[in-house]
Amino acid sequence: MKVLLSLAFYSLISRKVSVFLTILCVSLSIILFSSIDNFRKSSKKTFFSNAKSGDLIISSRSGEIEALLYLIFQIGTPTNNIRWKSFKDVQNHPDVKWAIPISLGDSHKQYRVLGTSSDYFKKIQIKNKKLEFYKGEHFKDIFDVVIGYDVAKTLNYKLNDKIIVAHGVSSQDFHDEFPFRINGILKKSGSNIDKLIFVSLQALEAIHKDWQGGFKLPNVKHNPTSFNESDLVPKEITGAIIKLNSKIKIFQFKRDLLKYKSEPIQAIIPGLTLTKLWQIVSFVEQILFLICYLVIFITLLGMAASIYTNVNQRNKEIALLRVVGASPRSIFSILILEGIMISLTSILISILLMLLLNIILNPILDTEYGIYLEYNFLSTYNIIFYCSVVLISILVGLIPAYRGYKKSLNSGI
Amino acid sequence: MNSKNLIEIKNLEFYWNNQDEFKIQINDFSIQTNEKKLILGKSGIGKSTFLNLICGMISARAGDIYILSQNLSSLKAWELDKFRSENIGVIFQEFNLLDHLSPLNNILLPCYFTNKDLNKSKERAYLFGKKLNLNNDLLTKSNSKDLSTGQKQRISIIRSIINKPKIILADEPTSSLDFDNKNSFLNLLFEICNEEKISLLMVSHDLNLKNKFKDVIAFESFFKL
Repeated sequence: MKVLLSLAFYSLISRKVSVFLTILCVSLSIILFSSIDNFRKSSKKTFFSNAKSGDLIISSRSGEIEALLYLIFQIGTPTNNIRWKSFKDVQNHPDVKWAIPISLGDSHKQYRVLGTSSDYFKKIQIKNKKLEFYKGEHFKDIFDVVIGYDVAKTLNYKLNDKIIVAHGVSSQDFHDEFPFRINGILKKSGSNIDKLIFVSLQALEAIHKDWQGGFKLPNVKHNPTSFNESDLVPKEITGAIIKLNSKIKIFQFKRDLLKYKSEPIQAIIPGLTLTKLWQIVSFVEQILFLICYLVIFITLLGMAASIYTNVNQRNKEIALLRVVGASPRSIFSILILEGIMISLTSILISILLMLLLNIILNPILDTEYGIYLEYNFLSTYNIIFYCSVVLISILVGLIPAYRGYKKSLNSGI
Repeated sequence: MNSKNLIEIKNLEFYWNNQDEFKIQINDFSIQTNEKKLILGKSGIGKSTFLNLICGMISARAGDIYILSQNLSSLKAWELDKFRSENIGVIFQEFNLLDHLSPLNNILLPCYFTNKDLNKSKERAYLFGKKLNLNNDLLTKSNSKDLSTGQKQRISIIRSIINKPKIILADEPTSSLDFDNKNSFLNLLFEICNEEKISLLMVSHDLNLKNKFKDVIAFESFFKL
């Protein structure tokens, strides 16, 4: 075997330019596959981590996916509100460790405004990390606002800048009599949080005192200093994130909430709902993988074609090897080994390039897009993938190897 | 079979592509130990095919080929490959060196397919290299691409004897050489064959080689075509 390996190796070295190009093609197709896979896993992880902080999400009864997307990712159409009293009932339930209210509806320059309590910044975790402040801190005063990293960066906002919140998402009506002061800018988290503007629920209540049924009341005008605490207890919120004392009680709690009599509310298990959502879009993922596998297969077929063409030009070598004692099987093995060597070298190069790319790109991706690519080339998945690349290279390598075998049967002096 | 014969061929019939009109028929042919034979014949007449039959690379429809009293047809394919690498040295037309291998690796090629000690074969390669003015640096250089014709001749001779074969089959090794190179090559080959007690069977179309061999056979008249 050692002899055959060395003969295959030297033969490849003698065709270094074409072999190099083949290795480059195979390496790039492996990198393409690994990158897509890596990106998919990392995005999934980031996506799921956004909803990991709480055990349950409560909202008015609607589609679970719809409610989850709206409350956690601020995507889609708004759900009905739930009463503040219902939230308090849930919050005061003995099984509840903590509950964070969420109120959505308003915006600022296309960025969503999320009303919540200051607990949000203490309890919510993204990728198992608590939210951190880049500058400033959470709201201390009613009209303090905390903005996400992307908001600050895109709109070039600094601490103590004043911002005006608009009513609704694309409304032209502004709560211009209640300017907010930026009291904190969050660090980049790589989630939708970076694109949010946080205000207190009291502030939301205050700016909507002059509004009813989505319209501003004429001739009613409050000013920012005219409120006292008791005026600003919210009447309704969009939903809440709930953490229970024990995870074992999640399903029981979810069932119990369906029996809540005051109003129809539901509890969503974020992980399960996200998995359902992921299953819906998984066909795109599968198509993408199919394309990647095809790219690898076609590249390896190209490799086989290059070896095949070469076999036709190697009459002299095959004849010599046969005459000095190599069996047709040895010739067959040499050609298969050439394919294996190309695929193994390609895998090695792709691993090194991926590691290098990770070192270079990870800080940029993490800071700019909040995606941290974790490339573990020794994972079971990757090892299976590399083995399948070698296996495919052996399978397609059978074509030139068989050609070499047949040729060797008829070769001689 | 005569025990003095190194190669003995009896009633051999070979047909190209199994077509009856194209055949080689050899009723009786032999080479004895230390004998040097030249078979002369026109190009394309079947001389290389004849050598391939002796090598066991192709098989005849009928008849027997004995080498060292071993009937080639009784050997299995893998035994035949091994037998060939251990007992037969071959010198090709234009020497047939693999450019991507070093001269030493070219010489050692036949050793890779036997169970012989590779280190001893290397020593033998260096020894003959020295004898034929090929120093160790030249033998171990990375490839054989830039060797001169003379160096290629000598390397192909060393390769043919590296496994201490009993016979060398040479297929028109002088066809591309000028007069001087032809003479020096043959002198060298004869010298080595004498030293190592190896028989030589050469086929060629070059009538000028007649004078170099005591035993010359005309392919057309000796073998029925």
